[in-house]
Amino acid sequence: MDATDIQILIVGSAGDGTIAAGNILRQALAEAGYKVISFDVYPPEIRGFGKCIARMRATIAQAYSLKQQSDVMLSLDDSHAIPHVGEVRDWGAVLYESKPVANAPQGHITGHIRPGQIPYGCAIREISEKATGANRSRNIVALGYLAGLYGLPREAFHAIIDRQFKKRGAEVASVNRKAFDEGYAAGAGAFKLDDVAFGPPQPNVAPGTVVEMINGNAAVVKGCLDAGIDCFFGYPITPATTIMERLATEMPRHGKRLVQTEDEISAISATIGAGFAGTRSATATSGPGLSLMQEMLGLGTMAEVPSVVFVSQRGGPSTGMPTKTEQSDLNSALFGGHGDAPRIVMAPTNVEGCYRCAGKAFEMAEAYQTPVIVLLDLYLSNRYETVAFGQKSPFEPDVNKRPRKQDLGAGYKRFALVEGGVSPRAVPGDAGGMHIVTGLEHNEMGRPADSAEMHLAMCDKRLDKLKGALVHPDFTVTKRFGAMGKAAVGLLAWGSTFGECLEAMFQAEKEGIDCAAMKVVMLSPFPEEAVSAFMDDCAAVLVPELNHDGQFARLVQGTLGRKVVKLTRVPGVPMRVSDILGEIRRLAGRNLPQAAE
Amino acid sequence: MVYLEEKLKEVQDSGRLEYRSKALPTWCPGCGYFAMVDGVAHALNALGIPKENTVVVSGIGCSSRFPFFLDTFGMHTLHGRALPTATGVKVANEDLTVLAVGGDGDGFAIGCGHLPHVAKRNVDITYLLFDNGIYGLTKGQTSPTSAKGFKTPTSPYENPDQPLNPLLMMLSYGASWVGQSYAGQPDHLKEMIVKAMAHRGFSYLHILSPCVTFDKTHRTYGNLGMTVRPVPASHDTTNQNAAMQLATGGDPPPIGVYYAVPRPTLGDSLDGLVMKAGGELPRRRGTARAAE
Repeated sequence: MDATDIQILIVGSAGDGTIAAGNILRQALAEAGYKVISFDVYPPEIRGFGKCIARMRATIAQAYSLKQQSDVMLSLDDSHAIPHVGEVRDWGAVLYESKPVANAPQGHITGHIRPGQIPYGCAIREISEKATGANRSRNIVALGYLAGLYGLPREAFHAIIDRQFKKRGAEVASVNRKAFDEGYAAGAGAFKLDDVAFGPPQPNVAPGTVVEMINGNAAVVKGCLDAGIDCFFGYPITPATTIMERLATEMPRHGKRLVQTEDEISAISATIGAGFAGTRSATATSGPGLSLMQEMLGLGTMAEVPSVVFVSQRGGPSTGMPTKTEQSDLNSALFGGHGDAPRIVMAPTNVEGCYRCAGKAFEMAEAYQTPVIVLLDLYLSNRYETVAFGQKSPFEPDVNKRPRKQDLGAGYKRFALVEGGVSPRAVPGDAGGMHIVTGLEHNEMGRPADSAEMHLAMCDKRLDKLKGALVHPDFTVTKRFGAMGKAAVGLLAWGSTFGECLEAMFQAEKEGIDCAAMKVVMLSPFPEEAVSAFMDDCAAVLVPELNHDGQFARLVQGTLGRKVVKLTRVPGVPMRVSDILGEIRRLAGRNLPQAAE
Repeated sequence: MVYLEEKLKEVQDSGRLEYRSKALPTWCPGCGYFAMVDGVAHALNALGIPKENTVVVSGIGCSSRFPFFLDTFGMHTLHGRALPTATGVKVANEDLTVLAVGGDGDGFAIGCGHLPHVAKRNVDITYLLFDNGIYGLTKGQTSPTSAKGFKTPTSPYENPDQPLNPLLMMLSYGASWVGQSYAGQPDHLKEMIVKAMAHRGFSYLHILSPCVTFDKTHRTYGNLGMTVRPVPASHDTTNQNAAMQLATGGDPPPIGVYYAVPRPTLGDSLDGLVMKAGGELPRRRGTARAAE
């Protein structure tokens, strides 16, 4: 059979420990040696009875997104799980409580399981009460049942449970271990009928690397630390908050400083102040915060001060949908401020990319003396992937262009009009480097100057110097996948949706469609040549993205003057691979039936 | 002529011209802000702070052009954002002497939201607020410290609002040093800037100044000269309540030091977090600082 590719779905109600169980499961699968990609969905309220979903896909080969259909579903709350029964494939498994205290309003879940899906009832609550004297460990018992049913390595789970509950005392850990073992025994003893089978994992870790189960925001933090971040200023906002929370723990350990400011304006102001002082500084926010930061980002461009802003997008406009994902802040990131204010904007497409972009953002901010926006989204921020990290930081600790001694003193020109546009920058503490940065248009000395010639020269300088970002060392600006020559359909995408594009491309290839895909990581400056060359090769170019107006499609069309086909969706959740595949088929002239839902 | 020559020699000998830039101030003749350039240059000189270790951060307004007239590092930022930007500079490098300067509109209208936070954090910077009770750079509109009844192009009948009381606000926000001075008394101003800068922690110096171009009726040299009086010698500068009472007494309230108490700065607290987390503190030069 094919190499392992199994997707597990856990559905429960807030308070059931759904996400906690999912967290243990994905870590254990990673520990066991599978590649894992995982994304949870939960309601904006902390308490209450909202639906919580943990989804994870364990594979041997690299996967790029979740699958549309799951192989196994574990229900911790039937009323929430019943609407998801249809997500389980034929001959897949549905695991549920066999002795519920009360039936769900829709009736018992077994009444909803389709012929062909295999039901597994387990007396989860009873086992929990027997093992621990309480029904609080239902989620762990259920997890044990699932692990036992599929013969997953028990030791991996024990290690994670110990780690997870250690903080709450050795006793809590041992009680949960017992709950897990009881569930495991029940699962191992069950008569298995489905065709879900975990093949042997391939822990092929490259020498010198360590595999981590990590989400996008945590990868950003790791990138910040490996790039030697000095200062961070932030204001809490979903879904970016966990970047600040994690940095608040980590930075003091490295002797670095983090301040929670009174608002986003203050956060970006302080970030730019710290950048002026010569340190690597950053802030993180979401769409509403980015709107507040726009004026100060314009100063960052004008004053040529390095700063890094991580923006995790959520549903907009206004307060929008704070716990739903969207890619609708591209326009804001590119064009949000007033005046001609170019800046560097990049968007990673996966969790490893979050790490690389985070680190490289500091390099580029410093090298090109400008604000750098790294666009994430909720899907990427909260999506877990197994990533192999090297043990040494791949980032340059200092790429500043400093003035020569003889250029300092009374005649020092902070904004000298030099080849390439990057003027040597002195920082406070450098004798003879004194200068004023200003939001006013200025001359080479930094003094207010508004002649037509000077304004043009400075506008050119601020734009031209960014071109360096397109050839920045060791950075993937664009990358092409699939058919390398002519293709019937080319997928052109940015950000988190690129994973779904690749999955759709693989399926289209299986159907015999010549398909190619290009991810565009650098959005400003725009990689015109690479994108144009890709479009030359494709009979039709499809741009799937999670926003209403097709912001990236417009960017491509506006920049290159060439038509693309938009595919826009705003469901608040990742795009369906089948939607992309349907468009590919249509554009390729295929009139095939829709894939089974 | 003799007087002028003597004055010139005194200024040249003092060493404070070292801190002045070649750019000539853009203010109107007679503006109170000239005294502040001289005052800050004097204070930097008196405290022996190297110019390359000094960063002056301002917002937008007449007074916010200030950094251009000193030969130090400077940031001329956005309207209302001098304080958070200055906070970033100081957090990044504790060895720097950081001043924030701005006017009443910049600080108490658009930038008002930052004041309580910079005060409560006790960021080790000095904030010089040049209060002329008017928006000078946009040609004389009403500001948050304009008197009630004041007529301006944006309040042509009269200003219907009560003015804010900046001193009372800063005291209640917990600023660790609060004082007031007057541009018409340059020697007092010099002394107060030195004191404010010597304070370790957030120091707020409110400086009364006329706008000679757009206010011919209210806050003039004539009116201020008649009403400005010193803080009584008996005032206890460690008594917050007494300081608040002073701030509410008189129009304008007296000039001098209202409140001065040492407490840990933001930098101290952040260093404390590093120690708690088991991290290592970065090496610093340690800025020489006159004792208070």
